[in-house]
Amino acid sequence: MKTILVVDDELGSAEVLSLILEEEGYRAFCAVNGQLALIQARDVVPDLVIVDYMMPLMNGAEFARALRADPQFANTKIVLNSGLPEVAIRDQFDGYDAFLRKPFKVETLLDLVQQFIGR
Amino acid sequence: MTSSTTDNVGAIERLRSSVPGLDQILGGGLFRTGVYIIQGLPGCGKTILANQICYGHVAEGGAAVYVTLLAESHSRMIQHLSTLSFFDVKAFPDKLAYISAFHDLESAGLKGLMGVLRREMRTRKVGVLVLDGLVAASEGASDLDLKKFVHELQSIAVLQDCTVLLLTSGNIHRMAAEHTMVDGLIELEDKLFDARSERSIQVRKFRGAGPLRGKHSLRIDNDGITVFPRIESLYRSASTETMRDEVTTSGIASLDAQLAIKGLPMASSSVVIGSTGTGKTTMGVHFLHASTPDEPGLHLSFFEGPDRIRAKARSLGLGLEALEASGAVELMWQSPGEALLDEIAERLLSAIARRNVRRLVIDGLSGFLDSAVYQERINRFFSCLVNELRSRRVTVLMTLETRDVVSSVISMPWGVSGLVDNLFFLRFVHDEGHVERLMTIIKMHDTDYQAGLRRIRIDSQGMYIAGTYRADGDVIPSAQPVAGPEGSVPSPSK
Repeated sequence: MKTILVVDDELGSAEVLSLILEEEGYRAFCAVNGQLALIQARDVVPDLVIVDYMMPLMNGAEFARALRADPQFANTKIVLNSGLPEVAIRDQFDGYDAFLRKPFKVETLLDLVQQFIGR
Repeated sequence: MTSSTTDNVGAIERLRSSVPGLDQILGGGLFRTGVYIIQGLPGCGKTILANQICYGHVAEGGAAVYVTLLAESHSRMIQHLSTLSFFDVKAFPDKLAYISAFHDLESAGLKGLMGVLRREMRTRKVGVLVLDGLVAASEGASDLDLKKFVHELQSIAVLQDCTVLLLTSGNIHRMAAEHTMVDGLIELEDKLFDARSERSIQVRKFRGAGPLRGKHSLRIDNDGITVFPRIESLYRSASTETMRDEVTTSGIASLDAQLAIKGLPMASSSVVIGSTGTGKTTMGVHFLHASTPDEPGLHLSFFEGPDRIRAKARSLGLGLEALEASGAVELMWQSPGEALLDEIAERLLSAIARRNVRRLVIDGLSGFLDSAVYQERINRFFSCLVNELRSRRVTVLMTLETRDVVSSVISMPWGVSGLVDNLFFLRFVHDEGHVERLMTIIKMHDTDYQAGLRRIRIDSQGMYIAGTYRADGDVIPSAQPVAGPEGSVPSPSK
């Protein structure tokens, strides 16, 4: 079973996403900021992370950079998402595998997930 | 004497808000490092107001953070805001961030929330912090907890040089605890008056300065929020300027000749009353046409647009185009429907200031009346407007339409006569098969005039007085205007 970590300070939306992912047959976890997400990632070593950009303590770009710097996450796919347009974020971090502008449709996300890590 | 120490206690600096009119009603703006509650039901504009303050602060080189609890999602908020002119995507991520602190509140209560706020202020070095959703924060907390929370927030705000806005939809009674603690309380409202609604803003509490009291109108459009201070509160002091002996022309030589001082007193206000077609607008056009670059004129009309005013002037042999080109005359049109009373006043007074206007025509006073949601306010509004015009040395001529086409009784709304200096009455009379236009001077401020009925002619030479009218008793109007009953304001026809 593939593992996905959903990181969003708006916990409600992270929880909804992880429930849907679980229904789709993935193992899903949530975290509310980059710092907590990093701790959890080391624990579960996700195949894919869905990470929001604007978050307290450690934002999505900082989290993704930390992930990329750690060899144990070499195969982890990063889906960055934000209500801001991609151009506003690319300066901060451009090593993601996909960017989703919020709000997005869940099918769009599920297609991406399947494309990256299968079921 | 100057001091180089850093411990001198001066006046607290203000935060310039970039919300037009807001700093004005706050007597200069929010105080930096203050903690303020912005309160109002959903949809009344709290989010836009707080965001506009954030983006304005960023535009001035500062940084801001917008912390939500259980509010609309950040992506949705950004979607909505991106349609507004002040939205600036370049503010992200260094100068502005939207973060949620709900998890911290849920897991660690007010203490957890305070931790987030403290950390955000420190690490982002923000000058403005918004906490959206105070109701969620106060859920389950005791009054004492809330007071402690606000108190701690105030201490941190001062240390971090940060102004804090707490947004809440809670009602004033329920939220009494923190109200006693904060530095200010601003309430937004969206109220329905028959079919139209009017938004308002009220500063209910403001430590350290005297705000303009009462409710002020507020408009939300693509530029966000604009506040229009009530002109009664803006220009509270009565005009100290006394009328001097200067005289200015009415624009009609034969009318000037009827007046002892051969014209209208400078900086006086006149109202021309009459039914439709009697020549009110024509009289206004004459008055306007006497404008010069040294005595610039402004024409504000509610019903007839500039092209119709120009055409009317042309037919009277009074072309306005050359005067407009030379800057002596400006024509302004205002739709009488949806505009706010104070918005029109603001537009008018700034147009007067911009060109140093000395001659003003307001054609269709009822356009103002239609814009008032509280009819009982009209009297105060006009006495204030007239006072302000007087203190700016503006001579004003206003027209007001009466309901009856042929009448010997003048019915006048809201005691106009008490508010203005000079009063002219125009009307039609039947005279052995002819219809005649007549003018009566009902009132002139401090100057003698020839009373009686004047015959008026309007032709390609313009409007002029063509002698005295001698008529049967039954068409003589009552000399005293008929005012409405005390306290009530009869609504006039257009």
